[in-house]
Amino acid sequence: MSPTPLLDVAGLETHFPVRKGLLRRQVGSVRAVDGVSFSIAKGRTLGLVGESGCGKTTVGRSVLRLVEPTAGAVRFAGADVRAMHGAALAALRRRMQIVFQDPYGSLNPRMTIRAILEEGLVIHRLGAADERLARMRSALERTGLAASALERYPHEFSGGQRQRIAIARALVLEPEFLVLDEPVSALDVSIQAQVVNLLVDLREQLGLTYLFISHDLSVVEHVADEVAVMYLGRIVEHATADALYRVPLHPYTLALFSAVPRIDPAHRRRRIVLTGDVPSPARPPAGCRFHPRCPLAESVCRSVDPPATVVEGHRVHCHVAARELDRGGTAAAAARRIAEMMTAGAADKIVTGGGA
Amino acid sequence: MLVERSPTPSPPQLFTNVPPMPLLDIQNLVTAFHTPAGRVPAVDGVSLSIEPGKTLGLVGESGCGKSVTAMSILRLVAAPGVIESGRILLSHDGHTDDLVTLPERELRRVRGGRIGMIFQEPMTSLNPVFTIGEQIAEAVRLHRDVAPAVARARALELLRLVRLADPERRLDEYPHQFSGGMRQRVMIAMALACEPDLVIADEPTTALDVTIQAQILELLADLRRRLGTALLLITHDLGVVAETCDDVAVMYAGRIVEQAPAAELFANPRHPYTIGLLAARPSGRRSGPLTTIPGMVPAPREFPSGCRFHPRCSVARLPDCTSHLPALVEIAPGHLVRCPFADTVGAPRPSTAGSVP
Repeated sequence: MSPTPLLDVAGLETHFPVRKGLLRRQVGSVRAVDGVSFSIAKGRTLGLVGESGCGKTTVGRSVLRLVEPTAGAVRFAGADVRAMHGAALAALRRRMQIVFQDPYGSLNPRMTIRAILEEGLVIHRLGAADERLARMRSALERTGLAASALERYPHEFSGGQRQRIAIARALVLEPEFLVLDEPVSALDVSIQAQVVNLLVDLREQLGLTYLFISHDLSVVEHVADEVAVMYLGRIVEHATADALYRVPLHPYTLALFSAVPRIDPAHRRRRIVLTGDVPSPARPPAGCRFHPRCPLAESVCRSVDPPATVVEGHRVHCHVAARELDRGGTAAAAARRIAEMMTAGAADKIVTGGGA
Repeated sequence: MLVERSPTPSPPQLFTNVPPMPLLDIQNLVTAFHTPAGRVPAVDGVSLSIEPGKTLGLVGESGCGKSVTAMSILRLVAAPGVIESGRILLSHDGHTDDLVTLPERELRRVRGGRIGMIFQEPMTSLNPVFTIGEQIAEAVRLHRDVAPAVARARALELLRLVRLADPERRLDEYPHQFSGGMRQRVMIAMALACEPDLVIADEPTTALDVTIQAQILELLADLRRRLGTALLLITHDLGVVAETCDDVAVMYAGRIVEQAPAAELFANPRHPYTIGLLAARPSGRRSGPLTTIPGMVPAPREFPSGCRFHPRCSVARLPDCTSHLPALVEIAPGHLVRCPFADTVGAPRPSTAGSVP
């Protein structure tokens, strides 16, 4: 990791109040993000994966202050994002842009593509009319669209093209950092590959830094340099993409990987079918938040929140993983033992899925 | 009211001395939408068959006609959609009905009776103002003349069958109290309420998280084994098909372009579109850009002439492709391909290897 990260997030918490009754008294809070730390070096991509409700989208929005974090620090290029106001915050936002999942919902159907792309330039008072036009044309070109798109409306474009427009809208401001929130999840497979390639090309050409949020483990593996796995508002495992996919240490990561349906029978693994659903983030379980669904849960897991264990930059929050890593040997050997325990220890309460 | 039929692994044979008859046999189905802008043939000559107890996966991207095919089977295509031609033969107890011409009154007994349906959105498919128990009991009473108490008992039995935790309490709860995965279990319970011969599942796990998807797919496979129900699984996810289906049909622009037993299709894909779809899936660590299929899926109003895939095809060279509709040719037992170059394409199998251990 380079010495000065472009984005540095420490102890980020974003809680949403739960209000009830006539007076809308606060009766509790949903701890959507509950102590998340990571940093991203310039030009790198951090993949943030997890299931719905794990808080990954809220992390992305909190970093841009589209939702207000409750606690923690967010530093962008050395500046304290949470302390900023007014013009300084606006200037910062030009450098940090976001692309949303739904290319149908994120573009105003009553605006032409020109109006959509120009909005940011107007808000940030960038360029004279002719310069703006040049910027918009170049952004469209970079995303593989013709300049003639400018005079058209969103409904005239397919889902893949709309997502290109959403990317162009971000690029027109010449940002350094993009939050990509499920940017290809709504697209068909053949179109998904085109947009993934586009995002990778843009990163190389423009030196962009990405926070790539997705539930699709295969796409993240292809795009990201590092990957963080979230569960119930926390990062449970964080490593380089290579290490995470080769040597997953957290039982949740293992279960997540094993659940991905695979085409090649040779790469199909013993499926670890987790029982139950993700608990509500308004009432997270005590101890390790994954313990109610974890086949390896022990008594310590029910009471003590597992601290981070770090081995060669691979960070995992799990009592069992910590013990296995402690036993010496390589991380790969520990990962193998945990995987074996997952499939063996789970055999009685879990049915292995797979082929028909 | 027994739910479980004979637990034999082989599909139940109706008559032992009759050659295996397909449970569902779709012949040359054409379903078109008559819009002010013209006729839009969303399904254009589709033939499919499913044997009792088997699972057929119907895959394709949005707009390929896979859902319209499913809706046509139950004649639920909304106006201005019309089934223009073709036959949809459904066998039951030795006789066969053509669902295309069956009177509406009888068809209503087929829907939810002999054919159960599971939709993608478990939230919008359930009525928010009735309890889960009431809704399942209604599905039972629509088809069977039983007392409310019997229907309720059956609802409880069904919730147990789909392995919903704490079914007695859940029976009296409302849909909003259920998670997405639990709602999909309820949908499955409703689809199975009348012991159908066939269940049509349209993207049943697309809205679910991957760990919940694993639970639901495992449940469907288990129910199929225990009940001998045939399944038509409509999905865009090739991985889901590979893990759950016996046979696969790939649709593109209203037509079937390739059909084969699942193992054969994934080991030996022959249509350039199937090959492209498999190759476009990200697999493993970054090894250069992903393989893409250029262009995009054509809108039904703009279907190209000849082979509808030709503008995006890397193989299409001859004027043949642009002028003639290629026939669906059997190149190996049970393996049908709609491409004149199927023999020569034989592209090396796209690697699906992930580095995930």
